[in-house]
Amino acid sequence: MTLRQFLADCPPEATAIIGSRVRLCFQDLLTPPGTIRDAARHGAVALVLRCPQALARAIVGLDGIADRMLLLSHDTPPAMMAELLKTSGARAVLTDCAADIPAGIPIIVWNEAPQRTQPGEPAPKTTEWLLSTSGTTGTPKLVSHSLQSLTRTTRRDMGRGRLHRWGQLYNICRFAGLQVLLQGLLGGSTLILPNIEGPLESQLALLSAEGCTALSATPTLWRKILMQPGAEALSLTQVTLGGEIADAAILGALRHRFPHARLVHIYASTEAGAAFAVTDGLPGFPASFVEEAPGGICLRVENGLLLVHNGLVRPNYFGSTGVFASTEGFVATGDCVALKDGRYHFLGRADGCINVGGNKVMPEVVEHVLLAHPAVAFARVGAKASPITGSLITAEVVLRQGVGTPECIIKSIRNHCAERLERWQAPALIKVCADLPVSSGGKLARSRS
Amino acid sequence: MTIARETILRLFLDVLETTERTITAPLTDQTVLLESGMDSLGFAILVARLDEELGCDPFTASKDPYYPKTFGEFVAFYEKHLGP
Repeated sequence: MTLRQFLADCPPEATAIIGSRVRLCFQDLLTPPGTIRDAARHGAVALVLRCPQALARAIVGLDGIADRMLLLSHDTPPAMMAELLKTSGARAVLTDCAADIPAGIPIIVWNEAPQRTQPGEPAPKTTEWLLSTSGTTGTPKLVSHSLQSLTRTTRRDMGRGRLHRWGQLYNICRFAGLQVLLQGLLGGSTLILPNIEGPLESQLALLSAEGCTALSATPTLWRKILMQPGAEALSLTQVTLGGEIADAAILGALRHRFPHARLVHIYASTEAGAAFAVTDGLPGFPASFVEEAPGGICLRVENGLLLVHNGLVRPNYFGSTGVFASTEGFVATGDCVALKDGRYHFLGRADGCINVGGNKVMPEVVEHVLLAHPAVAFARVGAKASPITGSLITAEVVLRQGVGTPECIIKSIRNHCAERLERWQAPALIKVCADLPVSSGGKLARSRS
Repeated sequence: MTIARETILRLFLDVLETTERTITAPLTDQTVLLESGMDSLGFAILVARLDEELGCDPFTASKDPYYPKTFGEFVAFYEKHLGP
């Protein structure tokens, strides 16, 4: 089935998308502008659309008529964009920011004008969707998906879906953003698409004003939302976390703030697709998932690393010989887990592990202890080279307002860590800073060596 | 007392406290470092915190590896690198 075939079941006059200046109903999505058909004639099309409403319309319009579509964020650096366009085999770019597109590829400028004639509907084809990995560890790679692989965990209960108004704080070109878009559309919900390049305050203001009921964000972004003046106007019945480890502190804070909401944390990645959702409000996931994971995927834990088998995703990067799954189809996620009291808990990324005098330390484990200190709003843990132990743990913390002098707080944080961590895990240096950088995907920005 | 000595003394005791170690005898220039109560992790933390406060890590900056044995040698190593 194509996206449009799914949407044909939605009430045509119901509001599908709310932007900062525009409203679209499902009927608008089913009658795409003429530029979409022009783009589809090229077979393989790249979408570089800054306007989220235009991107949503293009995705709906192209699925089933284009052979392949590549979703590229408009802020991709030019050299990287040129490389990804080449690798993807895109024959044209559909864009609303033509100035940012590298030379050498036909450009179709986005235009809302309706199709002049209504040509006969060709038989729908299965469109290949290409998504770029975040590229935090080097050049981004392309992963091939299908509508089927992207919607494996999407809930299609329109009776309940119609009651939801999903807020979109992610870039739609990213896996997490696409998941929210597809959940909103296939659930028959209304999607609220604020300008994610604007300040968080105005994004949340639009979500509140438009009656957002369901919202998905990274734990880092949720911490910001909880601290944002004005966010108390949000009244959510669905709270979703993903992209980073959901620790007990943030889950508890969200449960307290939204006591009646369905609280879910999702485990997904561009390569593994949407793997599973945890709905009991607790950190980690039940150990029983390894015996029988929900939703038809397989999980394995080998040497403390989580492996995911999702038969719907092609196991190699598009246009490359690079393979990210074993011959049996298991994707090594790079996430370390540990079994405790019948649950697997996420410890952190294997490639982020710090060696302190022969002891391995997961930065995320230390961050979660820091975040459990009442004065700490945000925390980032890293390594400093040491002539004695090879590395030492360092921490940067953003303090909540009005908690006392940094000197007193640092001493209190040191004691807090000493009580909860091994000696080699506790930060040797603690620096107070005004803010911590967040990546375009809403995650805490890290520099991996 | 030099700035180096004053800072080392203060941080030495602070690191001992936060790494849950106790001093075995009063700290003098003759105190053997390995018998002071501080272990290698403690020294690593002390060197990192001194680098932060004094802007100097003589162990990394020095071309020849040097292993001070007593507290006096440790202080003198910093004083030499920091200058008068």
